[in-house]
Amino acid sequence: MKKIALLLAIFAIGLQAVLAQTKEITGTVTSADDGMSIPGVSVSVKGTTLGTITDLDGKYFLKVPQDAKTLVFSFVGMQTQEAAISGTTINVVMESDVVGINEVVVTAMGIRRDAKALGYAVQDVDSEELMKTGSPDLAKALQGKVAGIDIKVSSGMPGASSQIIIRGSRSFTGNNTPLYVIDGMPIASTASYNTGDGVTGADISNRALDINPNDIESINVLKGQAAAALYGLRASNGVVIITTKSGKGGAKGVPVVTINQTTSFEKVSRTPDYQTTWSQGYSGAYSSGTSMSWGAKITELPNDPTYGGNGNGHEGMYKVPQLEKAGLDPWVKPQVYNNWDDYYQTGVTSTSSANVSQADDNGNFSLGLGYTDQTGIALNTGMERWNAKATAERKLNNNFSVGFNANYAKTVIDKLTGANDGSLAGVLSAPSSYNLKGIPYHVPGDPYTQIYYRSLTFDNPYWIEKNNTFNEETNRFFGNGYVEYNATFTEDMNLTVKYQLGVDSYTTHFQDIFGYGSKGKTGEINNYGVTDMTYNSLLTANYDWKINNDFQLNVILGNELDHNRQKTYDQYGQEFNFGGWNHINNANTVTSSEEQYQNRTVGFFSSLSLSWKDMLFFNATGRNDIASSMPRDNRSFFYPSVSLGFIASELNFLKELDWLNFAKVRGSYAEVGQAGTYYENFFSKPNYGGGFWTGEPVAYPVDGVNTYIPNNILYDPALKPQNTKSYEVGVNLKMFKNRFGIDYTYSRQNVEDQIFQVPLAGSTGAASLMMNGGKVHTNSHEVMLYLTPISTKDFTWDLSVNYSKIDNVVDELAPGVESIFLGGFVTPQVRAGIGDTYPVIYGTQYKKNEKGQILVNENPGDADYGMPMAGDPGVLGSVSPDFILGGSSTFTYKNISLSAVFEWKNGGHMYSGSNGLLDLYGMSERTEDRESTFIYQGYKADGTPNDIVRGGETDPQAVQTLYSDVLSNIDEYYIFGNSFIKLRELSLKYFLPKNTIPKVDVSVSAFARNILLWTELPNFDPESSQGNNNIAGGFERFTLPQATSFGFGVEVKF
Amino acid sequence: MKKYINKLIIACCAVVVYSCSEDTMDDINKNVNDPTDVSSSLIITEAMTSSAFSVTGSDLAFYSSVYVEHNVGVYNQMYNAEIRSNEPQSSTTYNNSWNSIYQNLLNLKTIIEKCSEGGSEEGNFHTLGIAQTLTAYNLAILTDVMGDVPWTEALQPGVIFTPKLDKQEDIYNEIFTLLDNATTNLAKETTFPLLGKQDFIYGGNAASIAKWIKFANGLKARYTMRLSHKSADYDAVISYANLSFTNASEQCEFNYNGTTTKSPFQQFFLDRDYFGASKSFHDKLVERNDPRDAILFKPYDEDGELLFAPNGSPNQAQGVYAISAISSLTAPTYLLSYHEVEFLKAEAFARKNELDDAKDALKNAIIAACGKDNIGISAEDAEAYYQDEVLPLLTDQAATLKEIMVQKYIAFFEEEAVEAYNDIRRLKAMGNDFIKIDNPLKFPLRFTYGSEDVTTNENVRNAYGDGTYVYTENVWWAGGTR
Repeated sequence: MKKIALLLAIFAIGLQAVLAQTKEITGTVTSADDGMSIPGVSVSVKGTTLGTITDLDGKYFLKVPQDAKTLVFSFVGMQTQEAAISGTTINVVMESDVVGINEVVVTAMGIRRDAKALGYAVQDVDSEELMKTGSPDLAKALQGKVAGIDIKVSSGMPGASSQIIIRGSRSFTGNNTPLYVIDGMPIASTASYNTGDGVTGADISNRALDINPNDIESINVLKGQAAAALYGLRASNGVVIITTKSGKGGAKGVPVVTINQTTSFEKVSRTPDYQTTWSQGYSGAYSSGTSMSWGAKITELPNDPTYGGNGNGHEGMYKVPQLEKAGLDPWVKPQVYNNWDDYYQTGVTSTSSANVSQADDNGNFSLGLGYTDQTGIALNTGMERWNAKATAERKLNNNFSVGFNANYAKTVIDKLTGANDGSLAGVLSAPSSYNLKGIPYHVPGDPYTQIYYRSLTFDNPYWIEKNNTFNEETNRFFGNGYVEYNATFTEDMNLTVKYQLGVDSYTTHFQDIFGYGSKGKTGEINNYGVTDMTYNSLLTANYDWKINNDFQLNVILGNELDHNRQKTYDQYGQEFNFGGWNHINNANTVTSSEEQYQNRTVGFFSSLSLSWKDMLFFNATGRNDIASSMPRDNRSFFYPSVSLGFIASELNFLKELDWLNFAKVRGSYAEVGQAGTYYENFFSKPNYGGGFWTGEPVAYPVDGVNTYIPNNILYDPALKPQNTKSYEVGVNLKMFKNRFGIDYTYSRQNVEDQIFQVPLAGSTGAASLMMNGGKVHTNSHEVMLYLTPISTKDFTWDLSVNYSKIDNVVDELAPGVESIFLGGFVTPQVRAGIGDTYPVIYGTQYKKNEKGQILVNENPGDADYGMPMAGDPGVLGSVSPDFILGGSSTFTYKNISLSAVFEWKNGGHMYSGSNGLLDLYGMSERTEDRESTFIYQGYKADGTPNDIVRGGETDPQAVQTLYSDVLSNIDEYYIFGNSFIKLRELSLKYFLPKNTIPKVDVSVSAFARNILLWTELPNFDPESSQGNNNIAGGFERFTLPQATSFGFGVEVKF
Repeated sequence: MKKYINKLIIACCAVVVYSCSEDTMDDINKNVNDPTDVSSSLIITEAMTSSAFSVTGSDLAFYSSVYVEHNVGVYNQMYNAEIRSNEPQSSTTYNNSWNSIYQNLLNLKTIIEKCSEGGSEEGNFHTLGIAQTLTAYNLAILTDVMGDVPWTEALQPGVIFTPKLDKQEDIYNEIFTLLDNATTNLAKETTFPLLGKQDFIYGGNAASIAKWIKFANGLKARYTMRLSHKSADYDAVISYANLSFTNASEQCEFNYNGTTTKSPFQQFFLDRDYFGASKSFHDKLVERNDPRDAILFKPYDEDGELLFAPNGSPNQAQGVYAISAISSLTAPTYLLSYHEVEFLKAEAFARKNELDDAKDALKNAIIAACGKDNIGISAEDAEAYYQDEVLPLLTDQAATLKEIMVQKYIAFFEEEAVEAYNDIRRLKAMGNDFIKIDNPLKFPLRFTYGSEDVTTNENVRNAYGDGTYVYTENVWWAGGTR
């Protein structure tokens, strides 16, 4: 921000002629923050127009009249300071303006405005805050730093998808993530493929991943619809406006080179608690091929009648058939293994980037390169990303200037699969008695016949490393060029016309390969991908008129055309002929498809701002969008917004209050939309995936014959865009010399006419109808708090807190629809349901009495006597948290700064399949005690507490029955609260004293990321779940775990 | 200068307006990936495949297989079905089948409309007849396992959102009407071309039409027999059966090529591995010294133990119990087998106490059943088995009837499990507890409705209730009310 401020200061003050009258004053202006000199500070004589600005070393020289009494020092981002003139040297230490009253922020359509003039909430994050721990993933780098947003990361896998959700969700099944705008150009940020149900395959990254956080100068989050309204149909989810580093504001003439490198090491963030007593098997007996660990005591294995070695020459040992299969000595001593810890490796993340920039009077340029290399904690996962960017602007003459911005990114990710394809199922639940890492994973001489402790519903994770491939590679270019015409009609009137043409184009190729031998079968391959090209034409005219001393007017008119073309391909091959060549040419059944889509939105927009006396700020916008993806004659939509900011602290009686520095109240109202997809009803090829099938048991064309049936998704010709009406009120206060600031916002969104595939009764013969239906409302409270409890010359303590409480409730669905499936299984599933918060987990509940107490089976003959029973399905928990509290604290002592970012997510539930399955398999610590008697904590039909004693010597299978047969069939058992407190970031940064190396600034840092301090969820890090869509955060089953990072970084600038 | 600027502005405006005109936008939004209409011959192929694979061959057969004890569910959903935990009464269990059947009925309705009066292919009688036959077939499977189901208000997506249920009795009348119309239409001359390779079942050549007629007649025999508890007409069964298949080469079977089409039971094993070999089924074979006992099962591991799973109380364990040895990727799905037609005849004769005819039909049925491709017992060996082991059991009418039904039950292993499930329920209703079920737990009398209707269609939701009706209420033809 300071660089921009400097630039503005130069414009504002200029080099004014100073009249020659006597006294000369010199001095240096330094910052209280870091003791560094501040260039560009405006120094003026109070009550006159005399003034200058400080030079690069923070020095100034000023001739002042003899009678001048006071100098005023001002600088954007710093508290304005006055100094009495006494002597000829006046050195000033400026305090930073904690909240940045005069900060300029980039708002919709690249319009720059004073933060104080805004009638709606925005929040910005600068490069330094963002990059404290060098996270290669922008979403992760933002966690805990912005109020009102919930950032959902899917797992610790490199390149894992993540979603930013601002003020809750608006769409049931569609996109709820914000629009990303980089340097004035909207770019693709969502995943090119939706992970759908989230129960098969691997995660699919979202395209915000292509952004190198190191290239970012600042991020401004437009949270409310009013802030974003100029984006019309794309505005409903808020906007993330990213400004990348440019040469702007740098020292004139001198090239600036910045090089930084960070390296971190990742460890799996949590190890589940395992039982270590019982062997593989069931019903108390060892069995060598089962997934269950309900066998004999591990110490008793040598006594097993079939496999035990006692009494047949292998005293103290037992026979492991898998070792025999591997051609090794099958007789081993029983031992306990921790297959989880054995498997995970130390991941390494290395990011390097270099940037050169230079500025002169007529322009500037910046060139950046970045490389990120990540090796995941799970075998065969990783990410590599290359980024290159160039940006330049040049002033051609007094009226014209041109510029461009070009970015290239290549992202390659190696992934693993989850849920029903769980690559890590065996890592999670291999029996403690089985040496998963030590026993070979294939038979000798045949790498494609697996050796595993269980049936090959899941592959051996070590075999997977060598044979399965889940990979994606994206090559992307985005950027824009512009020409700007600027005319100053009079001193008070200015017109700027800007035309910008941008392009965002990427191709992603995916490969999903289950190698020959996977699941005991002959494997399959799926090559698919997308080429996506968007061009964006944007014309804006900006007219500023200072009407008089009190009134200022700003009018903007614009036209935007956004055109997207997409071509996707899909090649699916089943049955490889032989192993070692996992290629589509080796597959015996190959089907392929290709699809092409186009989409265009044309928008006309206007904005009008009027301000009065720096006290009242009014803004109104309107945008009319015409969208191709809607039905004919139903394509044109208008979206208005109004906002008002009132700076109360400008009132005279408040001005007198010493302790109050700034007070603003603001309010806004906006309507924005979200378009849907409409097609004339069509026929399509039948698809046989899903259900019990892992592949496609029938794949057309069959023996050269094709067939087509009425598509089971129909489209409503009366489709209209979904509409979000929102209002927002807020207040900003800055007190005690700006050392304490608070920014509170309440907003309410009413979303109507959601577009979604309304599920039809199966008996209609179709699955769904794309139509409008539904209502959602969101109440959101956001609080940002800034505090500088200590501020001395050498030591500063800054605190900031972000609090969000967002209630997102589904009021209505389409007539006859009570819920919408979002993902998961038939049960449990994640869905939207009327009257529930969005989304909820739905599934089989415990059978309960009317008091909600869990009932037990009282029929003595049943295996589950005295145990709970499955009841009707119902809502088991809501996914969204009650509130999120993020906080950061920074201690700065001289050249050292220590900062920490915390996040506390409170409330919310998830389906933790892995937790339930650990119990089902008999691997969790909970199942350790199988010999004591127990009484299940439930109730009998007559309302008395359950007193049926199960287990003990006479009832040895009871614990197995309870966990393996009873609880595992009740989805509610798998639901856990997932509140957590995390230390998101901890970093220690040391700036080498200036001139340690001449003309070179060096800083070094050490940091840690994602340290789980506490969570309600047993055994796992709660931030690990299936899906890159609206089920994210709610549904987990064999998902890749999270990682904790420790690392260090160095930055060199010269 | 100024006039150029004006012209430029006008030109720009024209471009902008054109860029978002309705015609331009229509062009942009045109779906280039899918057709908006196709001929009936391109639809009917899927109607056949889906009838075989999705409707008859998959989920309904798998669950039936557990209930009739052809297989034992040893893992996950099938295990739950085995121990009668949740699955039998949950609306989600058969949801995929429910949807498949209705989607298939909609496909067939589309064909029937095209080929009927006023349709774009009016006069395409053969395709019409085949579509009517398959409609009757799909509808019968649906109502047999689920009872009263939506029909008259069904299949109107976007028009009727909550179809009401029709009585099973009315649906059965509809089935017979459809089959009558089908045989009439199939017998007509038409100028439309034969289906050719689009007919996956009979090959679409000139001879195929006669086979479709035989299939329709065979279905009439099956469904007439089905109503025996309500209104027995064994003479009709026999006369319909006589108009049906005369040998196995005519039977209505769907063959899988093993690559682009894969037989459901084997694919289910490969993808899920939820079945173990059934102890009670094995016992029945042993009792009869049946040569199939050595053919139908194999140990899970080649050299492992041939361990049969106890019905109702297996361990939830994969890789332990023996498995079916006749599942293969090319094992056909029978929509109606020749041996079933012979069994129908045998039962009808036996019920009429015409035991010689019954025995002839039974012998034919056993030989055909033993001769299935994936069993491969020669006609001589099968006949020897009949003479040595079966014939001695046929001591009187009751014993003959019983053995016919047990033999039919054995012959249905494992692809024809749904029909076995229908038979068991009909026999129980008729007081003929011929097939011994070892599982001591409750026997599901029917299948639940699909959850996609239970959640969105109040008519079905009310009928579903809490799902426990599956243990208490028979379908109409088995003596229930709905």
